[in-house]
Amino acid sequence: MSDLDKAIAQLRACRPIPENQVKELCYKARELLIEEANVVQVDAPVTICGDIHGQFHDLMELFRVGGDVPDTNYLFMGDFVDRGFYSLESFLLLLCLKVRYPDRITLIRGNHESRQITTVYGFYDECQRKYGSANVWRYCCEVFDYLALGALVTGCAADLPSTEAPWVGSSGMPLEPEDREFEIEIFNSANEVTNRYPRANPNSNTITSNPNPNKPSTDPPLPKSPPPTSSPKPTTPSKTGLPGTSATSSSSGSPGNSSGAVLCVHGGLSPLIDSLDKIRLIDRKQEVPHEGAMCDLLWSDPDEIDGWGLSPRGAGFLFGADIVKLFNHQNNLAMIARAHQLVMEGFKEHFGSGGVVTVWSAPNYCYRCGNVAAILELGEDGSNGGFVQRSNGDAGRKRALGESGGGGGAEALNGMTGVRTPGRRYRIFEAAPQDSRGMPAKKPVADYFL
Amino acid sequence: MNLKEVLSRLGSEKTHQFAIPSKRINDGDDVSFFLTSKAYTDLMTFLLQLNTSSFPWKPSSEGAPAGGWSLTANSEPFSPAVSNLRSLIKKLDNIIDEAPPDTGPRRFGNVSFRRWYEIVIERAPTLLQECFEGISSQVPFAATGETTAQEELQAYFLGSFGSAQRLDYGSGHELSFLAFLGCMWKLGMFKQTEPGVEERDIVIGVFQPYLDLIRKLILTYTLEPAGSHGVWGLDDHSFIPYIWGSAQFSPAINGPEDIPSEGSAPNAPNPGDVAKADAVDRLRATSMYFSAIGFIYDVKKGPFWEHSPILFDISGVPAGWAKINKGMMKMYNAEVLSKLPVVQHFPFGSLFRWEKDPNAVQVAASIHTSNQPSKHASTAASQRARQDGMKMPPARDRSQMPPTSGTAAPWAATSRTQMPPSTGTAAPWATSSRAAVPPAAAGTTTAAPWARPPSPGLPPQDNSGATRAPWANSALPKR
Repeated sequence: MSDLDKAIAQLRACRPIPENQVKELCYKARELLIEEANVVQVDAPVTICGDIHGQFHDLMELFRVGGDVPDTNYLFMGDFVDRGFYSLESFLLLLCLKVRYPDRITLIRGNHESRQITTVYGFYDECQRKYGSANVWRYCCEVFDYLALGALVTGCAADLPSTEAPWVGSSGMPLEPEDREFEIEIFNSANEVTNRYPRANPNSNTITSNPNPNKPSTDPPLPKSPPPTSSPKPTTPSKTGLPGTSATSSSSGSPGNSSGAVLCVHGGLSPLIDSLDKIRLIDRKQEVPHEGAMCDLLWSDPDEIDGWGLSPRGAGFLFGADIVKLFNHQNNLAMIARAHQLVMEGFKEHFGSGGVVTVWSAPNYCYRCGNVAAILELGEDGSNGGFVQRSNGDAGRKRALGESGGGGGAEALNGMTGVRTPGRRYRIFEAAPQDSRGMPAKKPVADYFL
Repeated sequence: MNLKEVLSRLGSEKTHQFAIPSKRINDGDDVSFFLTSKAYTDLMTFLLQLNTSSFPWKPSSEGAPAGGWSLTANSEPFSPAVSNLRSLIKKLDNIIDEAPPDTGPRRFGNVSFRRWYEIVIERAPTLLQECFEGISSQVPFAATGETTAQEELQAYFLGSFGSAQRLDYGSGHELSFLAFLGCMWKLGMFKQTEPGVEERDIVIGVFQPYLDLIRKLILTYTLEPAGSHGVWGLDDHSFIPYIWGSAQFSPAINGPEDIPSEGSAPNAPNPGDVAKADAVDRLRATSMYFSAIGFIYDVKKGPFWEHSPILFDISGVPAGWAKINKGMMKMYNAEVLSKLPVVQHFPFGSLFRWEKDPNAVQVAASIHTSNQPSKHASTAASQRARQDGMKMPPARDRSQMPPTSGTAAPWAATSRTQMPPSTGTAAPWATSSRAAVPPAAAGTTTAAPWARPPSPGLPPQDNSGATRAPWANSALPKR
């Protein structure tokens, strides 16, 4: 067993690794990350995750629900640290996995991967407490500076892969998925399907995992009686299928199964960025600035406004549906995936299909918010002759993405209406059970109380 | 009981010129100046004065009843000021019934808190009038100028219940309530009794009901912790109950000069009881400290040592409650009063003054303070301006911004008004909106649904010349 595998085993047990090992790990990670482009190219299949915030046991639950590394490819959209009790263990584990399986896991930067933010929101204090010095915090911050700013997922399937998972939704969905093309599928943490949405008009309503936000978003498992085939939910569009596409044909291997590319960033768009190439031009190896394009990508939020708005966060901007439409059109994107905002239902699709989706992966955030978490699985399009590029955005090997569309989906992208959104499978999970965690024997005494 | 140093009351002068408190703290340098200001000295004096009164008293002490205290046992009838404040808090509580939580979709905080806050703003002049009735007559001097005492106090009062824009509450709002009480003290509205007696009634009779109200607001409207550090903060929302609550269990004293640096009262519970749910249940009704711990149990799921590691560590302090009390004071000073994201919202007027205290000592910078943004790097001009008490222009005008919640940028230290709601991380440099009055829009008829009426007591950015409060013309828009 290599040292790295030992470190992974130790971190999986939620035990921090010694300072000298952290130093070495961070050095290796920097060497790896420095080679990555600002916008990493990632091929489907991939599972996209949102904020973790040091909720280590919930990260383990995420891996249980989504599959382990390296069996499942992962893309984490930042905010690994701060607020939770185990930022250190969570971030170091992800970093170890990155170094061990560089093509299987992609980490991009969140607004909390910053010196200034971590001194305010907890990660600095956590490192001080766990190591008695700020060295480890410093090593980690140096890694933060090298994290990519975004990722472009290509080669996604428009169709959802078929599943054996039992249907436990309360009502509304047809029995045979083969009969219709589904765009969205929602699974609970027991690998049961709780909801299916047929491929929708791009301007359909906002979808969350539960149309009633006051109820827990995972429907209670019902007896496996056939659900009624009518009674559409409010979010179910009456028309299925898109003009120019065959809603009922989904034979893999036909170009009709390709979808457009998905841009992943932590926060959102910037008024200074109108193309992916503008992101590629940023000199990212620095502390997150207080303003400018790099700051906005990590801080902005979508909102129900026209155009741009000032953000109450004091950094980044608010951006409306029109901004997203234009940006996605100009860059041949099918949609944008981002994290950054707590969503009680774990995920939220803004501005209809082909807009923005927020993915939030920290259940019962801060031990008190009562929210569920989600991860987003994008399936692989089998129609590109089996060519799967698994590089992590080596700029030299990459075609001009964003110009004429990237990866396997390029042929299907002809203008806004021709860009099909990838089939999306959300897995919803709750906070890990807590009874198994023992109480620490020692209570370190904070400086103020010495 | 002998309180060495108490917050000095006004009154040696015959007149006093009040001022609408205004925002002064915009960057890290301003925080450094604040720590040497008269306002800071006064806040610390008042906090310590109430802390001293929260210790059990020795039988030999003069005036005050000997022994410890309990939240539930009050033998003395309260003074008019304390009684009036209690009914003020009761009225604020009743307003919750008029603004039931919204049942529609939401991200986190409940928008109906805005309605509650709106009603409080509308009624603030009357509420405060009723509160000051009978006790303001004791104020021994006349106000000069256009601003009344009530207007100055209203700014702190309205800053005490969280942010309607951000739908959050934190230690900065708690500080505002302390300042509100401090203003009343300075004006001589509290009964002048044996030292320590009225102070203890403020702690038990006013501050605890205030905390109860805050907890009800947090639960009713799911208010976010303002700028939460997650598990790495002492508590999501409060700090002061841990200071005075730890004094409650400390050894008895005669006065501040014999406040011990360690030890506990004979019958005090074990500090380690905070991690035991049954002990917390037993103690929360009578103890200020455990009432705060109990609220954490109400809102958080998971092992106590994991979701509240700071409080858990403190529960292992071997030297007793007096040691904990001392540590809490140090921590409050460093983590609340020295933090830009918290104190940037604190406004300064004629009572809590933005003026250098000639006796103040310079404080050493920590990683936290030194990492705070200083936008107006100490140019000679800005230094002078600060010392002259002039207002520095905000670095970036973020007024009229829409609302959100979440992480705020630490450098977002400029004033924002009219913000819509959200949850999430705010940049630590971001300010939430208490600092400024909505500009000209105040009198117009069209307002964003989330916009609030002009906040009385919240100062305009520019306080040069004749500052007039927006409510001075009695044309408050009613909705």
